[in-house]
Amino acid sequence: MDFLVNLIQGFSVALSPWNLFFAAIGAVIGTAIGVLPGLGPPATVALLLPVTYKMDPASATIMLAGIFYGAMYGGSTTSILLNIPGEAASVVTCLDGYKMARQGRAGPALGISAIGSFVAGTISVFGMSLVAPSLASFALKFGPPEYFSLVLLGLMMAVYLSEESIVKGLAMAALGLLLGTVGIDPVHGATRFTFGVSRLLDGFDFVVVAMGLFGISEVLINLEAPEIRDVFKTSFKGLLPTREDWRRCWASVLRGSFLGFFIGVLPGGGAIISSFISYAVEKRISRHPEQFGKGAIEGVAAPEAANNAASTSSFIPLLTLGIPGNATIAMIFVALMIHGIRPGPLLLQEYPNLFWGVIASMYIGNIMLLALNLPLIGLWVRLLRVPYHFLAVVVVIICVIGAYSVKSAVFDVGTMVAFGVMGYLMRKGGFPPAPLILAMILGPILERSVQQSLISSGGNPSIFIEKPISAALLCVAAFLVFTPILKRLWGRRGLT
Amino acid sequence: MKNRIDAVGSLFLFLIGLGAAIGAIHLKVGSPTEPQPGFFPFLGGLSLIVFSTIIFLKGRTGQSQKKVVFGDVGRPALLLVVMVVLVGVLDCLGYVIGTFIASGLILRILNVKSWRVLLLTSLCLSIGTYILFDKLLGIELPVGILVRLGL
Repeated sequence: MDFLVNLIQGFSVALSPWNLFFAAIGAVIGTAIGVLPGLGPPATVALLLPVTYKMDPASATIMLAGIFYGAMYGGSTTSILLNIPGEAASVVTCLDGYKMARQGRAGPALGISAIGSFVAGTISVFGMSLVAPSLASFALKFGPPEYFSLVLLGLMMAVYLSEESIVKGLAMAALGLLLGTVGIDPVHGATRFTFGVSRLLDGFDFVVVAMGLFGISEVLINLEAPEIRDVFKTSFKGLLPTREDWRRCWASVLRGSFLGFFIGVLPGGGAIISSFISYAVEKRISRHPEQFGKGAIEGVAAPEAANNAASTSSFIPLLTLGIPGNATIAMIFVALMIHGIRPGPLLLQEYPNLFWGVIASMYIGNIMLLALNLPLIGLWVRLLRVPYHFLAVVVVIICVIGAYSVKSAVFDVGTMVAFGVMGYLMRKGGFPPAPLILAMILGPILERSVQQSLISSGGNPSIFIEKPISAALLCVAAFLVFTPILKRLWGRRGLT
Repeated sequence: MKNRIDAVGSLFLFLIGLGAAIGAIHLKVGSPTEPQPGFFPFLGGLSLIVFSTIIFLKGRTGQSQKKVVFGDVGRPALLLVVMVVLVGVLDCLGYVIGTFIASGLILRILNVKSWRVLLLTSLCLSIGTYILFDKLLGIELPVGILVRLGL
């Protein structure tokens, strides 16, 4: 009963004219950046952070959340029509979506991806409304050792799920932790690694670092290659899948939705990995696995449902535990912090309107996205014809504004450019940027919890394994780190 | 050395880790019972040293599979030059003039050949974003030499 009362309270927030407006803005921007290759949700959310400074926190979160899950809807369009994923989470959609378009079935492919995303998004929001409050009240029992282990697990998941090498991910996480220590030490008040630069006393600002790592570096990467966008010309008549299509893929949509929901809940889990796993599951259980990769509609329905469900459920660790699971959610974490709101178990008690308002806005946002994506598909395809140079120059200018706006200092713009170069080189060398930004955000929490735990235990590190929850979380974290090493060792033994 | 970028990257990370560890010792590391300001950076620095060494060794033995391909680096390099110059002149020229010139140059780097498109786009972007962010959203942007015009 409480659940319904809370949800009604959430709808009263989400249905206010301004919040409806911001949900619509988020959905439109999200779809647009999902459609346009070369600008992902983390960069967009980072770029739009300055816009949210003067907004109500609930409206800001509603808009930024809309961008995140909206991008999942839009990302499939380029995968299906261009064979270029607009979004990393839509990579797997290229395999069958583009083949369907080549076979003259672009309409049903786009249709099932939008409808599947809607169904998955709705299921995931419903699951979130049920799970989040219980998880938040459970997390209230967490002490410093549990928090230390949870943050460590979140970081290890982000490292494990990064596409590149685990060691490089770990190195980036360590670098992020170090960057997070720059400035005044929150416990002792000592200045660390500022090199006499007074501008560094507050440390590196997340907004500045994120804009450089995600915004500027993305532009630099895209400038390397000549722009080729061969939009596949096809008819968009008959967007609704046929009865045969429905018969084939309704179960795939449901499986993708539940799989995506559970993967998204895990700290570090997210849309990209869920889409790959759901595709693999569908192929394995299909009676016609040979059709996968040749235009099987299940190969579009399941990953699209999964990535949407995961993008929604990845808000759960943020809103209930205060742990951002991926780079976009980390940016939303920063947006909340800018407004003086600390995400975590107390968020539900202290800001129930924001908590339930954001959840309710996701129900509304999914309906908006369905309305935006199906009838307006022609418009989104036309957006693909906008030359990249206009997008690139807008991104650069907004990055400059965003970095400058943090402290009204050109120093921050210079810092952003430096992190842009660093992000560019990192991507070229296969060093994932997401663990770095997550570690930078989580670093202070990790430092505080490790110090508090050690002080309370008299310097005995066994406190982390004596507490059952902490021990369980550490076991999972260790499993994630050591699995690839063990796999390699077993592989070698098998070869010899 | 089979993977040069891994060697350079790991060396860079190793030096950062080493610098952080030394800096942390200067800050005082303390002990687990009484952690000092350098405690956490020391652990971070040590971790970075360990991971960068593994990356270096993996790159040396050819275990790293990432093959780095640089495309046409001319355009990214030129964009960086424009951005560095913009950082240098933003305060004195101000946002509108600074970004007008920078966007014009960026569009030129991006092969926009029509001067009319280039000038019009730069003008719309610099003035449009100034009105949107400074006047409507209240984000204070540098006025620079336009302050003489009473802006």
